[in-house]
Amino acid sequence: MKEKILKKDQVKQLHEDLSRYYSFYAPTKVKGNIVFKKITNPEDIELEYLNSKIPPKEILFPRMETLFSYKIDEKNIEIEPRTDLEEKILIFGVRPCDAYSFSLLETFFNFGQFKDDLFMKKKENTVVIGLACNTPRATCFCTSLDYNGHPHRKDDVDIFLTDLGENYLVNPISETGKAIIDKLAWLSEANNDDLQKAEELSKKAESLISTKLDLQHTAEILDPSFNHPLWKEVSENCLGCGTCTFLCPTCTCFDVVEDVDHYNNRGKRVRIWDTCQFCLYTLETSGHNPRNTKIERCRNRVLHKFNYYPKNYDLIGCVGCGRCIHLCPVNNDLREIIKKINAIKNENKKEEVVVA
Amino acid sequence: MVKQMGDIQAENVEIEKKMREVARSLLIEKEVDVIIGYARGTVPLSSSPIFIKNVEDIDSLIWDNLCYVNLARYVVPPLTEFVDNEKVELKVGIVSKGCVARALIHLAKEKQVDPEKIKIIGIPCNGVVNRRRIEKELGEKEVLEISVSNDQVIVKGKDFEEVLPYQDYLNELCKTCKVKSPPMSSSLSDVIVGESIEISSVEDDFSDLSEYESKTPEEKWEVITELLSDCTRCYACREACPMCYCNLCFVDQNKPIWFGKTSEMSDIIVFHLVRAMHMAGRCVGCGACSSVCPMGIDLKLINRKLEKIVKERFDFTAGLSLDVMPPMMTQKMEDSEDFMLGEH
Amino acid sequence: MNKAVVESKQDEEWQPKIIAFLCNWCSYAGADLAGVSRIQYPPTIRVVRVPCSGRINPFFIIKSLIDGWDGVVVSGCHPGDCHYISGNLVARRRFAIVKELLDFIGIEPDRVHFMWASAAEGELFAVMIRKISELVKKLGPNKKFEKKW
Repeated sequence: MKEKILKKDQVKQLHEDLSRYYSFYAPTKVKGNIVFKKITNPEDIELEYLNSKIPPKEILFPRMETLFSYKIDEKNIEIEPRTDLEEKILIFGVRPCDAYSFSLLETFFNFGQFKDDLFMKKKENTVVIGLACNTPRATCFCTSLDYNGHPHRKDDVDIFLTDLGENYLVNPISETGKAIIDKLAWLSEANNDDLQKAEELSKKAESLISTKLDLQHTAEILDPSFNHPLWKEVSENCLGCGTCTFLCPTCTCFDVVEDVDHYNNRGKRVRIWDTCQFCLYTLETSGHNPRNTKIERCRNRVLHKFNYYPKNYDLIGCVGCGRCIHLCPVNNDLREIIKKINAIKNENKKEEVVVA
Repeated sequence: MVKQMGDIQAENVEIEKKMREVARSLLIEKEVDVIIGYARGTVPLSSSPIFIKNVEDIDSLIWDNLCYVNLARYVVPPLTEFVDNEKVELKVGIVSKGCVARALIHLAKEKQVDPEKIKIIGIPCNGVVNRRRIEKELGEKEVLEISVSNDQVIVKGKDFEEVLPYQDYLNELCKTCKVKSPPMSSSLSDVIVGESIEISSVEDDFSDLSEYESKTPEEKWEVITELLSDCTRCYACREACPMCYCNLCFVDQNKPIWFGKTSEMSDIIVFHLVRAMHMAGRCVGCGACSSVCPMGIDLKLINRKLEKIVKERFDFTAGLSLDVMPPMMTQKMEDSEDFMLGEH
Repeated sequence: MNKAVVESKQDEEWQPKIIAFLCNWCSYAGADLAGVSRIQYPPTIRVVRVPCSGRINPFFIIKSLIDGWDGVVVSGCHPGDCHYISGNLVARRRFAIVKELLDFIGIEPDRVHFMWASAAEGELFAVMIRKISELVKKLGPNKKFEKKW
């Protein structure tokens, strides 16, 4: 049988074995927030969690990433490219929705003529060990998404773990995953009871997801709704902060800035997270800003995920993790926005495009 | 002002009822065109600011211990939707606990709101529940329901129920707040729900700061670094702040670039330091910045220090009266020079 | 304000580098007087002339600390002597806040100094700079805002 069993106290050993070959990232608690960090002490790994506050995209697409650094010595400028991209990365304990977000990120960073070497190189060197989600939040809606989202979806990971209570059921998915499992000879075999239990948990988890959204026609409805009064309504109480986008596992926008260290005559060019929710994001040199008010900015976030993504990549740009819903400071609920969008379906059929 | 601890929930229900009545009559009599208030959030531990233009929607207005956003944020700069087609500014009624009213008064002083266009619907506040702390302390248990009764906060979730002492789980700034109702002198054509307070000066010994202030510079730096280390620079604190209404924030200025936008610790600290500098004499201590922070960073240390500086140096508390000039907008020949280097 | 520009030949002893913002009408002239009177003071300061102490945005002070200056001095006309009547009074309130907040986040209080010096106070200017240099020297290099590379 290819499935194995990992006892909970064996996670330590797993960490020891794998961190020899990989930089081992896993969820850990930092000041009350679950975040993915490089783990040196396996005691720090926190697997009993709902979902991380900051999505694991942070490992492949960090808040701040150096593109290159340089030194200035009198008149000479010496450029130092990145050398750490060959690092093998292992991300342990990723929820299925976040695991799928890696494929969405890849779609963006690997699209068209200009590919993002930094991201792609890291992605190639990354192994993802997923962890089934037995405790979805009330705000989760992965099952409504087009990728067959499911709290126990296994497709996007190399190895899939299911928490059976005492043990984890280890399910190798990809070839890489199988190779890793083969090396871990100390794992015990799983029996039919375990598989059955995992199956039950999967069904139970699915039933726990209470939010069902109809996203089938959302993209079409959004097409003629660019100037719909809806946008004014949904952006009314938006503060214009970047919480929803910074903590979104699929948001990819970044800004390139110069980080200069005057102390030591050196600097680096870095990319930092940016968001379409900021006024400065679209401000042009001329002073013109095509998205001048939060109405346009709120619209852009929804359109990007539910209209532009389907048009460009034939995918919805959302994984249904619900972070933007429960972290929004003013509770501007994405689910409500979607419902409102769906409600204008019939309106549009009247052929009258409403102009705000 | 120490208030007898009543049943907070019952009090809130009472206030909510009266507030709706007041709001309804204001709308019906066309005294205001829009009412900004709080509505029930779709997730627990939240509330959602709402803009009410129709009388039928009045019943969505709520009042509880989770009304943490400072609604003054929504009138400065005036939202485009408050200006009608003839470019006439609409008259706005704002549900105001003490700190919201103080923010409005201060903004009027800074000539950012027109007192003629504002109507304060004053609410006596019992404090705001520290949602980030509750979230953090419950850890990985999802809160599905929260209620306040007597002096307890009761949080319920799947298979658990926890009872927390209300006084401990208030926002840090609410614990030291002395202006729970709108200050009466406000004269922003206010309507008060419940009792109003007459207040011209706030007494405070800032004892909560003494422990921190006795630290050495190295220790202080360590505390601040630790406090801010999680900051993702989403600027929720800035955006939720009623006083942060600049068209272009100093961190966004790029001609020249004053301060870095990266997540380097020094850049993060400088952002919060310079923002604090701009808040001196203006911060009303509403704690919205801490309530909205997705990472749960509590900026109360900085807020309290600002309050202390202006109180001790200039005997000023922001937003108490329309008649007193804020300290950073004026100067006096005899201002203290104790911070300056003398000849000896 | 690249550090390389002001990097002086390092003697065996470490010398602080202090940036001084001096107002055009009083303190700058005071420094000038110290110079023409040949009053000795340590060569630790680099002067930036500004029209008035009221011109000094607190950004200048914080930016100087970020850019690696070990100390900052701001000097203007005595209260009542401002060429622009109240520029220094406005500045004084501002500096009080800056000073307290820098202290509050853990920057040593002796790194940032404010003083008044008139055009006639060449001697006083020199004394003050000597004192400030000593104070900053005692603190050592300013490393708080150094980026972790």
